[in-house]
Amino acid sequence: MSFARLQHGGPVRQTVVLAGLAVFVVWSAGPVLWLVLSSLLQQKALIQQPPDLSPANFTLTNFTTVVGAAAALGRGIFNSLVVALFSTAVALALGAPAAYALARLPVPRANGIAFLILATQMLPGIAIAIPLFILISKLGLIDNVLSLGVVYLSFNLPIVIWILRGFFTSIPVGLEKAAAVDGVGIFATFWYIVLPISIPPLTAAAVFAFVEAWNEFFFALILTRQHAQTVPLVIAQFAGQYQTVFGQMMAAAVISVTPVIILAILFRNQIIRGFADGMMKG
Amino acid sequence: MTAIELKNVSKTFGTYTACRDVSLAIPEGEFVTLLGASGCGKTTTLNMVAGLEDVSSGDILMGGRRVNDLSPVQRDVAMVFQNYALYPHMSVARNIGFTLKMRGMDASEVRKRVEKVAASLELSSMLDRLPSQLSGGQQQRVAIGRALVREPKIFLFDEPFSNLDASLRMKMRAEVKELHQRLGVTSIFVTHDQEEAMSISDRIAVMNQGRIEQLGTPEEIYSRPATRYVATFIGSPRIELAPGIIEQGEGMAVAKVGSTAIQLAAQARPIEAGRQVEVGARPEYVKLSEDKGVRAVVRLVQPVGPTTHVTLDWEGGTLVSSVPGFVRLAPGTATFAEIDPNHLLVFDRASGERLS
Repeated sequence: MSFARLQHGGPVRQTVVLAGLAVFVVWSAGPVLWLVLSSLLQQKALIQQPPDLSPANFTLTNFTTVVGAAAALGRGIFNSLVVALFSTAVALALGAPAAYALARLPVPRANGIAFLILATQMLPGIAIAIPLFILISKLGLIDNVLSLGVVYLSFNLPIVIWILRGFFTSIPVGLEKAAAVDGVGIFATFWYIVLPISIPPLTAAAVFAFVEAWNEFFFALILTRQHAQTVPLVIAQFAGQYQTVFGQMMAAAVISVTPVIILAILFRNQIIRGFADGMMKG
Repeated sequence: MTAIELKNVSKTFGTYTACRDVSLAIPEGEFVTLLGASGCGKTTTLNMVAGLEDVSSGDILMGGRRVNDLSPVQRDVAMVFQNYALYPHMSVARNIGFTLKMRGMDASEVRKRVEKVAASLELSSMLDRLPSQLSGGQQQRVAIGRALVREPKIFLFDEPFSNLDASLRMKMRAEVKELHQRLGVTSIFVTHDQEEAMSISDRIAVMNQGRIEQLGTPEEIYSRPATRYVATFIGSPRIELAPGIIEQGEGMAVAKVGSTAIQLAAQARPIEAGRQVEVGARPEYVKLSEDKGVRAVVRLVQPVGPTTHVTLDWEGGTLVSSVPGFVRLAPGTATFAEIDPNHLLVFDRASGERLS
């Protein structure tokens, strides 16, 4: 959303829009701010009602303690990286050609197929958790990073297909016609022309998929034991292991969300363009 | 030798027929324009020639060989698109050379050919720029360069100038015509702009509702339109037609419009009396007169420089006269309009076909 667009409305419209945005910002940024604050507060000050925010109560001990227990967190971050990168990379590699085929090639009932792909995401996680657990344990793949990656792939692939399909539909047909006349086949057109001009939506889809996998808790909880634990599980363990030391839990959480936030800041322009291109046609 | 031949080509999309029974033979080196309003089937026809659209029925031949099932590349056609369709992420040089690279041509040879084409289109200084850094006219020249570099047997143009402003359009028109005179490559050009079609083509195929209404040289199309549709579609200002009935006058046939009798020129094939017709003449063959011709009243005076268009009301409706230079006439002035019988166009009212 560009603020320049606000100029078009009258003062009432501007106030309403700005107030709406303010609510949205507080709603989304508030918890993050609270997360950072509480990671820096001593336990005593944090659990007071209301919390005591005087400067004397701020400390870095939570971070030093968490980093001291680095083995668990380090493994968690490594596992999360593997799972997130794997499910993102494979989702893009499979999703981009699938989305292109559904958007542009003469696939019979392409809309129906696209809807079915989306429909797989309409089941609540809990509904598929038990069959999924049985299946994966029968395969002997419980507590395996790659099996968790494959499960995440099944969530990420439909999202990637939908984001990219929206964008591919909006590419002018003339480009592909020109390529056809230039003697470029379908695969080469996809590789040399469609993909290079789709960097923004590809980035948006990749970041989205990565964050989904990075933050996922529920399936990680039921499909891993110790070896394949991801960051959210490690953070949760600070609750049990150290009698719910909120400050340490929050410090671990801050460490774990940092890569995601850096990712989002680095690619923010492409993410915005990517979603805007794909979602708003014309 | 015939370079391109369409034999009874039709194209249907579901229940909609975009082209019906289009037949057209284009000799090598000729520049033919498909002209018509939007939705007349001209672009669909071009796409079928290019191989971008399948043919529903009929045959397309190139150099005598049936090409219905060949890809655009196998047909050796190059095409210039309305929205340029330049690859946005590639420099001008890469845009032009991409097709050669895809054919596996050696990089240094590609470079040489690209530079040659760029020089001929005055693009040499822009080879490293991206399409977004070029003006509309420059982008269109890159698109033409991309077509030229392959040295194809056939050029196809799909409304290439319709996104350009008027003065640039005139300039590009001249450039394309010169290019065609220099290279002599068989070309098909699609446009809805009748003036563009007239100025650029060897022959024009006027299309309407998926059919070719008339195929002929610009002069034939303009002076001897086969149908009412062609007559009114071509020419600016538009020809105005008045409903009438043929009567046998003293020695000569006349078209009776209301109470006015308009004399017809001597006919090779006389039109029988009683025929319901529509008559009219191009504005340059309608002269204003002090006392001869039909009674009329001036409605509108529009000077355009070399001529002035005078719109008149008369018994048969509207009549337009093109008068050389500037004229001073107040709206409401009563006058006479003299129609040159040798250039009177007579159409059958029911079928729209020209009778004279």
